[in-house]
Amino acid sequence: MAATAAAAVTAGRLLRLRAAGAEGHWRRLRGAGLPRGFLQPASADGDAAQRRQVAHFTFQPDPEPLEYGQTQKMNLFQAVTSALDNSLAKDPTAVIFGEDVAFGGVFRCTVGLRDKYGKDRVFNTPLCEQGIVGFGIGIAVTGATAIAEIQFADYIFPAFDQIVNEAAKYRYRSGDLFNCGSLTIRSPWGCVGHGALYHSQSPEAFFAHCPGIKVVIPRSPFQAKGLLLSCIEDKNPCIFFEPKILYRAAVEQVPIEPYNIPLSQAEVIQEGSDVTLVAWGTQVHVIREVASMAHEKLGVSCEVIDLRTIIPWDVDTVCKEECFLNLEAPISRVCGYDTPFPHIFEPFYIPDKWKCYDALRKMINY
Amino acid sequence: MRKMLAAVSRVLSGVAQKPASRVLVASRNFANDATFEIKKCDLHRLEEGPPVTTVLTREDGLKYYRMMQTVRRMELKADQLYKQKIIRGFCHLCDGQEACCVGLEAGINPTDHLITAYRAHGFTFTRGLSVRAILAELTGRRGGCAKGKGGSMHMYAKNFYGGNGIVGAQGQIFEAYNMAALWKLPCIFICENNRYGMGTSVERAAASTDYYKRGDFIPGLRVDGMDILCVREATRFAAAYCRSGKGPILMELQTYRYHGHSMSDPGVSYRTREEIQEVRSKSDPIMLLKDRMVNSNLASVEELKEIDVDVRKEIEDAAQFATADPEPPLEELGYHIYCSDPPFEVRGANQWIKFKSIS
Repeated sequence: MAATAAAAVTAGRLLRLRAAGAEGHWRRLRGAGLPRGFLQPASADGDAAQRRQVAHFTFQPDPEPLEYGQTQKMNLFQAVTSALDNSLAKDPTAVIFGEDVAFGGVFRCTVGLRDKYGKDRVFNTPLCEQGIVGFGIGIAVTGATAIAEIQFADYIFPAFDQIVNEAAKYRYRSGDLFNCGSLTIRSPWGCVGHGALYHSQSPEAFFAHCPGIKVVIPRSPFQAKGLLLSCIEDKNPCIFFEPKILYRAAVEQVPIEPYNIPLSQAEVIQEGSDVTLVAWGTQVHVIREVASMAHEKLGVSCEVIDLRTIIPWDVDTVCKEECFLNLEAPISRVCGYDTPFPHIFEPFYIPDKWKCYDALRKMINY
Repeated sequence: MRKMLAAVSRVLSGVAQKPASRVLVASRNFANDATFEIKKCDLHRLEEGPPVTTVLTREDGLKYYRMMQTVRRMELKADQLYKQKIIRGFCHLCDGQEACCVGLEAGINPTDHLITAYRAHGFTFTRGLSVRAILAELTGRRGGCAKGKGGSMHMYAKNFYGGNGIVGAQGQIFEAYNMAALWKLPCIFICENNRYGMGTSVERAAASTDYYKRGDFIPGLRVDGMDILCVREATRFAAAYCRSGKGPILMELQTYRYHGHSMSDPGVSYRTREEIQEVRSKSDPIMLLKDRMVNSNLASVEELKEIDVDVRKEIEDAAQFATADPEPPLEELGYHIYCSDPPFEVRGANQWIKFKSIS
């Protein structure tokens, strides 16, 4: 979870802020979940009574796309199902497998597919991530389109060896005789408000230095379907991380027919001239809000970029060559702390819009 | 008397002066085939195993002999080239284990698929690649089967998926056993048990050295891996088992490697020279096949010697090629990382070095 703003906010400062808030705040945090921000008035006791989860972002849907034909209202998991449905229909060698995908998946991404395409094409695997990816590599090498699911991105580490040492290097080490390019690994990713250590991780950084694979993270249902279809059709092994907090929270008009969004191309969502904000996945919505806050409060014009593909990433869009000499302030990163993803401390851990805004302010005043 | 003796000696010397043993060969009648007894395999979860007798035809016998001899000489040549520093890096030789790769190939079809670990030169050859391509790959030249970029451990051919430098630890094997048995995949899991894992003897590494039983719910056979006919029959049996839809099966081939684990391992720090010598003199696979063929009149000693000479020449030529062929150009460093169209740029060691990656 990175955005270009300072990581200068210390844990100590946060603790002071927390203590300064009313007792009601603290009780609310412990019981109900995430606050919208520290500057919320303590009189919002109605929320305390409801004890609802309040997210650190607000999903901002894109306008309805008109160039791909008829659209339908879909949330993120439905967009993923639609993409998988299109793939299995188009490509007779496509198969989907993973833990619990047969009944529809723990996030309902594969609902209905086994009934539609048969148990030979949508099937469960035993509980073995290493085996899932290893098996996926094997059938991809023989020519099938393998779509593997790792139930949570946190569980991808047993398969790390298979991904980095086998999948990524297959084409290179065999001099292009063999490849596992038709492998795609999909996995729910990122914080969800209550996930704690092992249901909230964002492990893309571990894969970001591995030539041979592609890592893609969408910010919305429309982006997800197009990017997932591109990953499946791409002739390189791809990892597609799906922000799980957006599965139901993100709703948009998404085309029913298949369409592709190109990989390794970042999208400039909003043009600006003073500061560039780069993020991916859920965080894109946070920085969009930060950009509008900056415009209102500071009169600063922000360029907002969704990176989309982490590796190989779109260097040209984000920075022109030798841009370092033209920067007026050092680049900042706003991300989680150097701790494991916490359980009770999640609200303090998340790089929410206030931390990003704070970093932006520091950059402007550099 | 002396005249008679002189006459006899003239006749005898006349016979001895007959040109080339070819004439002798043509005049001998070889048997077309012979039946041999082979060792019974130990079985795990199987009612019956491979047959205990097998028929070897002369043609097959000569073919297997030639293949085994080629693998043997190729490995010894690789050893020589490595010591001359023409081959660098890793080199895991399989001399001593020829019966495994040749016997295996004899029991399966060319359309079956094979994948193995790093001791792969023998399998690469039996799967159809030429000695030239293999040696050139070892020396890292253009003519190599992986264009010089894979080296000893990464050789590939049709229906042969390597040659893999990274190999699975025990956990991965058991996951694979589970999936194969669950989905009844037609897969033969083979353990070439050469008694040592790198430098650790199996007794010190495995809680149970009955590897053929380690598949637990997967049936298994333990096979004499130094006898090519035993390996062939066991492979035929295992292949038939899989093809009939019964699911996976395990084969443990008890074999031996004369060299160390790799070229950097002298091979005598964890075992005695006497042990190696004993195996070489009593159970060498090539010697066993040769003895069988000669004793049952399937071939003559001279004929087999001729094959030896021929094989040596082939290996010598291949080594020549492997030494003389140019290395791949530096531009190829970036090739085939991704399948990408158009080609993209790969970052080098600093920002001003770039490679083009095409595929």
